[in-house]
Amino acid sequence: MMQGSISNRIRTLRFMNGEMSQAELGQHIGLTRQTIAAIEAGKYSPSLEAAFRIAQVFNVPLGEVFQWDVKATPLKAS
Amino acid sequence: MSYREKIAWLSLIAMAVAYGPYFMFVARGPSPWEPLPHLHPLGLFALVSIVRMLILGAGYLYLRLGSPREERPPLDERDRAIEHRSLSAAYYVLIAGMILVGCFMPFSSTGWTIVNAAIFWIVAAEVVHYSVVVASYRLQASS
Repeated sequence: MMQGSISNRIRTLRFMNGEMSQAELGQHIGLTRQTIAAIEAGKYSPSLEAAFRIAQVFNVPLGEVFQWDVKATPLKAS
Repeated sequence: MSYREKIAWLSLIAMAVAYGPYFMFVARGPSPWEPLPHLHPLGLFALVSIVRMLILGAGYLYLRLGSPREERPPLDERDRAIEHRSLSAAYYVLIAGMILVGCFMPFSSTGWTIVNAAIFWIVAAEVVHYSVVVASYRLQASS
């Protein structure tokens, strides 16, 4: 299985949108401030629907909010 | 700390305060309850259940009055995921306990021992439920 992790640019996008607070972003998409904080910190992966809603709030494609960082794994000799 | 995590802590504390002493008392054996072996444990259980309800009631009131409405939002997807995970863990504890109590204990124990064992596993499942809730919120806390 491919190894990797999800990173996001929510903090940057909030800053670029008039220093939007976590609570404001949460209100827009129906999540709590604590959930937004957990997503930002990479400790909770949101549902696909919530991810699309976040992208919609910032008016950017989903790929600009969330990135899949592939971890390089050495190939096993067969 | 979120409102729901505080509620989970409150539930854990209420159970520890109420059922901790109860199980310590009943673990000493039935001899102090003679000659009415059924009445005393039942009365004690009713008493600790009332104590638990009082602690929960007072705690809920305190947390509700101390938290503004915006700090008590409706459940979101993360809250529901945590609730689902914690209930699943508690379910397995409850099932394992009930199998032990219902299928094995009748061959080796009788009466109040079996009843108290059943109560113990119900309480244990609740403890697991709220412990998983607390642990999940702690692990996902941003700082």
